[in-house]
Amino acid sequence: MTQSALVKVDDLSRTFDVSRPWLNRLIEGGEKEFLKAVRNVSFLIEKGETFALVGESGSGKSTVAKMVVGLLPTSGGNIVIDGVNMVDPSQKAQVRALRRRIQMIFQDPYASLNPRWRVDRIIAEPIRAFEPLVPQRDVDARVGELLKLVGLDPRDGRKFPHEFSGGQRQRICIARALASKPEFIVCDEPTSALDVSVQAQILNLMRDLQDEFSLTYLFISHDLAVVRHMATRIGVMYLGSLVEVAKPDDLFNTPQHPYTRMLLDAIPDLDMTGRERDAVKGEIPNPIHPPTGCAFHPRCPFAYDRCRSEKPELKAGGNARVACHAVEDRRL
Amino acid sequence: MTDIVLSVRDLHVEFPTRRGILRAIDGISFEIRKGEVLGVVGESGAGKSITGSAIIGLLEPPGRISGGAVYLHDQRIDNIGPDAMRRVRGKKIGMIFQDPLTSLNPLYTVGRQLTETILTHLPVSAEEAEKRAVGLLEEVGIPAAASRINAYPHQFSGGMRQRVVIALALAAEPELVIADEPTTALDVSVQAQIIAVLKRLCNERGVAVMLITHDMGVIAETADRVAVMYSGRLAELGPVRDVVKDPHHPYTKGLMGSIPHLGGEADRLVQISGAMPRLDAIPTGCAFHPRCEKAFARCHIERPSPISVDKSRVACWLYEEEKIENRGGAA
Repeated sequence: MTQSALVKVDDLSRTFDVSRPWLNRLIEGGEKEFLKAVRNVSFLIEKGETFALVGESGSGKSTVAKMVVGLLPTSGGNIVIDGVNMVDPSQKAQVRALRRRIQMIFQDPYASLNPRWRVDRIIAEPIRAFEPLVPQRDVDARVGELLKLVGLDPRDGRKFPHEFSGGQRQRICIARALASKPEFIVCDEPTSALDVSVQAQILNLMRDLQDEFSLTYLFISHDLAVVRHMATRIGVMYLGSLVEVAKPDDLFNTPQHPYTRMLLDAIPDLDMTGRERDAVKGEIPNPIHPPTGCAFHPRCPFAYDRCRSEKPELKAGGNARVACHAVEDRRL
Repeated sequence: MTDIVLSVRDLHVEFPTRRGILRAIDGISFEIRKGEVLGVVGESGAGKSITGSAIIGLLEPPGRISGGAVYLHDQRIDNIGPDAMRRVRGKKIGMIFQDPLTSLNPLYTVGRQLTETILTHLPVSAEEAEKRAVGLLEEVGIPAAASRINAYPHQFSGGMRQRVVIALALAAEPELVIADEPTTALDVSVQAQIIAVLKRLCNERGVAVMLITHDMGVIAETADRVAVMYSGRLAELGPVRDVVKDPHHPYTKGLMGSIPHLGGEADRLVQISGAMPRLDAIPTGCAFHPRCEKAFARCHIERPSPISVDKSRVACWLYEEEKIENRGGAA
C-alpha cells in the first residue's frame, strides 16, 4: 500500500499565533494565544485516487490543502510527495523539481485570476515559469490545446477574465492548473461558488481529465453529496483533527463516528423519504480553547468519562479508520 | 378564496441602463396560501431575489416595477408609496436575509432591536414588549433567553444570529415571511437546525413563507410548492414532490439531474450545456431554447406561457403540442 502512495501526510500540525499585539499584552496583561488549526493529521493518497476532506467551516480542511501544496509553512509533521519531503530544508532542490507536478484549483474563480492579464497569458504562466526555454509558438499551441481540453475556444485566449461567467472562469483555472502537466492537483472547494448546473459541468470535466491524464486529486469540500460523487476515499475533519477515514460507500451506509452520523443526518433530504431526524445540538466550539479529550464530546450523545479526558486516536474499526472511544470500546 | 395571502400577478421588473432596458422579471404570477411554504429556486441571475425585493418594495434603484400587481390579501401593495409600504413591511411581511450579521444592527442589543420592532408595530406596553421579546428568543431556541437579551449581535454565533433574525421577522406577527437564502451562510449541521425552527414557527402560526434558495435539498425538505425560475420567468410551478421527483420542464429536468445524490452513485451528472443568458441577450421565444435538447421551431419564435400539466404549471411548448395531439386523437 505504501508502495503506490503518491502523497503521505504524517502527523501534520499547524498553529496560528492569534495573540494580541505585544504592547497590548504588556499594558493590559493577558497571555499569548494560539489557534491549533490542524492537529496531528495523517493520511495517504494513492496514485490516481481522489481523496476528499470534508468538514464544516473552521475544521481545518483548507489549511491542510494549503500546507500540502506548500502555500503555508507547517508547524509540525511531514508531507512526503513521491519520496520527497516537502518540509525538509535539505531537499530544497528536489522540492523545486516537484513543484511543477503539483497544482491547485481555488474556490473563487473571480479572485484567482489576474483581471489585468489576458487568458492566454494566465494559462501560459506555469509553462513560462517551469519551462522558460519553450519557444512562444509552442506555448501558444499548448495554450490553445488546453483551452480546447476544458471546453473553451482557443480564440477565447485573447479575452480578459471578466468576459467569462463563473463556470468558464473555473475552466480557465483548470486549464492553468493543467499547463505544467501536473500529476497531483489540490482542489479547494472548486465548485462551491458555482450554480448546480455549472457545478455538474465542472465535476464531469474534472473526472474526464482525471481519466485522461491519470491525475491524483486532493479534493476539499463541505458538500457531502459532491464528495460522494467524486471521492474514492473520504476523510472527515472536525476542529482540526481527522475523525474518520473511509470509502464513500462505507462512510455513507455505515458511518461510525458520531460526528459523521450527525453530519449525514443534517443534510437536507432530496429523496424526500420523510425520515425523522434527531436535531443536531450545538455548534463547532472555539478552536482557541478546544474542549479537552475528544473535541466532539460536548455535542456527542454518546460521550462518557473517557471522552472528556483522553484524545482518541485514529484506529481501524470496521471498514474505516475512526477516532472515537465509544466505537473502540464497542459502546456504539 | 380568502386564504390566499400573497398574490403576484404578471409582475414585470426592469432596470433601465445606458445601453437599454434590462428585463429582470418578465411576467411572473404565483400565489401563496396561509401556512404554505413556497420555494423559489433557480440559478444565480434567474431573478429570485429581485422577485422578493419587488414584493416588499425594496428594489434597488434604478430597478422598478414596470407592470403587473402584487396583492397582500385584497390590498394592492406595489403602488402604495414608501410610507404606507414601510408600515406593511415588518408588520405584515417579515424578512429574513442571507447574512445574519448585516441584517442586525451591531450597535444595539438584540433585545432592543426586538422590542423596538414590537413597539413600532403592536399596541403593547414596554414591559409587555420585553416579555414578548424574551418569549420569541425562547421560541427560536436560544438558551437562557432572559439573560442573552442584553447581548450584542457579535456575541452570538452565526446560527444563533440567524435565530435572532427569525425572531425579529416574526416579532410583529406577520402574515407573510420572505426568507432570502436564510441558510446559505451556515454550516450544514446548523442549517438543519435553522430550517427546523423556521418550519415549526411558520406552521404553528399559519404564516405563509416565500423561501428563496438555490439549495434543492432545503426546498425538498421545507417547501409545499416550488417555483422554478429561469431568466426572470417561471419555468415550472408545482407541488414539491412532483417538481423534484417528476419534473416536466426540460430545464427542471436538467437542474434535478445535475445535483449529486447522496444515495446511489451516478457515474456522470446530467449536464445542461451552456449557461443562463445575460439579461441584455435573452433569446427570442422560450429563453431556454438554446440550451434545450428538445427545442423545435416554435420554441425559437414564440414564448410559451404556463399551462397546466398534471398538478403543475409548466411553460413549455412540448406540453402544449402534446395536448393538441391528444385532443386530435380523441376527436
